Amino acid sequence: MADDSKVATLSAEAITTEEQTPLQLVMRRFRKHRMAMFSLVLIAIIFSISLFAKQLAPFKVDELLVGKYFAPWGNVDEATGRVHYMGTDNIGRDYFSRLVYAGRISLTVAFFSVFISSIIGMAVGAYAGFYGGTIDSVISRFIEFLLTIPTLPLLLILSSMLIRNEDLIPIPQPILYGAGQLMLLSPYQARQGVLIILIFAGLGWLTTAQLMRGTTLSLRSQTFIEASKSLGASDLHIIFKHMIPNSMAPIIVDASLAMGGFIVAEAALSFLGFGIQDPIPTWGNMLSATQQFMLDKPWLPLVPGLPIFICVLAFNFVGDGLRDALDPRLKK
Amino acid sequence: MAGYLVRRLLQMILVVFLSAMASYAILNFAPGGPLAGLRQQTQSSRNRLTEEDIARIRAYFELDLYLPIRFSRWFLGWPRGPIVVAGNDLFKDSPIGCRKTIEGVYKDSKGNFQTKVVGCAEYVYLTSLVNRRSSNGVIRGDFGNSWRLNRDRPVTDLLWSRLPKTLLLGGLVILISLGLAIPLGIYSAVHQYSKFDYIFTSFAFMGQSMPTFFFGIMMILLFTIVFKNAGLPYLPPGSAAAVRDWNMPWFGTIVAGSMVDRGLHLILPVAVLTFVSVAGWSRYVRSSMLEVLRQDYVRTARSKGLTENVVIAKHALRNALIPFVTLAVFTLPTIFAGAIITETIFSWPGMGRLYFLALGDYDYPVAMAILFIIAILTVIATLIRDILYTVLDPRIRYT
Repeated sequence: MADDSKVATLSAEAITTEEQTPLQLVMRRFRKHRMAMFSLVLIAIIFSISLFAKQLAPFKVDELLVGKYFAPWGNVDEATGRVHYMGTDNIGRDYFSRLVYAGRISLTVAFFSVFISSIIGMAVGAYAGFYGGTIDSVISRFIEFLLTIPTLPLLLILSSMLIRNEDLIPIPQPILYGAGQLMLLSPYQARQGVLIILIFAGLGWLTTAQLMRGTTLSLRSQTFIEASKSLGASDLHIIFKHMIPNSMAPIIVDASLAMGGFIVAEAALSFLGFGIQDPIPTWGNMLSATQQFMLDKPWLPLVPGLPIFICVLAFNFVGDGLRDALDPRLKK
Repeated sequence: MAGYLVRRLLQMILVVFLSAMASYAILNFAPGGPLAGLRQQTQSSRNRLTEEDIARIRAYFELDLYLPIRFSRWFLGWPRGPIVVAGNDLFKDSPIGCRKTIEGVYKDSKGNFQTKVVGCAEYVYLTSLVNRRSSNGVIRGDFGNSWRLNRDRPVTDLLWSRLPKTLLLGGLVILISLGLAIPLGIYSAVHQYSKFDYIFTSFAFMGQSMPTFFFGIMMILLFTIVFKNAGLPYLPPGSAAAVRDWNMPWFGTIVAGSMVDRGLHLILPVAVLTFVSVAGWSRYVRSSMLEVLRQDYVRTARSKGLTENVVIAKHALRNALIPFVTLAVFTLPTIFAGAIITETIFSWPGMGRLYFLALGDYDYPVAMAILFIIAILTVIATLIRDILYTVLDPRIRYT
């Protein structure tokens, strides 16, 4: 009798325990990863700073204050009463304003690169994995080969070709205008950002495609796909309703890591002078422009370098946390 | 296996050819190039360039030939004159290029005047290739002459002069990284969740997130600037050797070009590159070691009563390092390409910096040569990896 009642209360508890949706489960597991949570907060801060770049920056990015070179931190502009929070750079531009605008541009470029490359990667990967055959093996070989080539030389050559020859790839004016609004640039200047996004997306979809292909292949032989097929579902229905939702976990993790990767890649290109060019601020070209004044003004290269490092570290931590939360089996 | 190798070799040749074509196309489809500034110069009254001058310069850079012919001359070193087969002069009358173009002016949609090539005033034929200088072709190891960096000297000279420096840097980095990464990864995996493991994984994580350009600049800031200002012995911030003797606190004068001088110049770039690659590799070793330690045969080895050291060194390690081979083999193209960013920061005269300078100066033959060699090395690395796999892991067989 006593045992029976125990079982009864146990099962009652099991029934009354609040049911958690998969999203809640993921959120709970993610919250346990302290560094990832902290990183998420950092990313939120950096994103909101760059979102309100226009409101936060006291000066315009290309506003030259003649004669006021290397002003110290907190220097006040007498004419207008505005403050140079971080002083000015070597040609008299407000450093803080440039930093904030640079964040907007760098983050926009990274975000759209991730977005577009994920979409291309998912489409190619799903197609190759779902239909298989010769196309699949050609695509896979092609991806494998491109992935083994060192990336930086390729990136350098593409961006040096495209940025110098602006008319090589015609970009529709509405896209330039929209990108300009997002990056707070004129449509003409926005072309450089759009070209960098195109280059990154063009080389960045490879890993996503590999991931997507792998999961599609393993899903293809599962019973619920067969069930769906035997119910008469079309290929598109299976791909969009079953394949893509079920392979989102690794792709989201990959996207988070790629975000950090693209921020570094953009900074590296701009640092080497083949990325976005000087009057437009990015963290990378600010770093390279002020590197030569490091001897007596060491903060000049440090200030744009730190957000790059922080962003990459934060996105890597978030990726790590997401991996643990989305797929506990992958936990290292 | 033999059949497999033959098939692989054929595939390799195809891939190499395609990548040669791709690298040639990327650089040559784009307008601009060495002639970019000429048009502007014709506008000024002094040093006015005639049409004849432009045609001569175009011919000098082979830009008057059509792209397929140019590519064939670059890749195969052919055609270099009339093609005579059994006494017949083939393609005698078909133009292979255009010496002088006719440019038309038109108004684009915005109302600006643009120039466009509309025709050809003077064609180039095979017979006019006879007296032209020509490279022997990439397949014979001749990459033509440099356009800008070392004008009119063979590209191979430039490459050979840079290669030792890059190999020195890359080789040292790989040796030190392997020496550090494998033991660190193993120790950290064997002592999983220990204090050391936590500290190590956090450091490795930081190292992987650290962009080399930022890290390099921080190192220069600390070890050159701060140390020098504090009167401590400091490290030189760039290049491979000093130009004149310099004075180091505590140690006295250092002779330019001496072993000590060269060694000191190596420290910073090697340290930056080593830190980054140790961070990546040791994490890799750690995770593959962890995976192997969970396998049944490791448990079997332990239950046989073998000591932990034997289990780790003989049973676990050898299998854990198999996937690591891929990573190590693909450093081959990377070493050759050089560490572009690190070499630029420390102005190290290696391949990476050469490539960087070549792209900046429109020196396409140099850039193409480097890109092409990277592609070949990548293909070779893939083959080595696949063969090594069969040697290391008997379960893998190619047919």
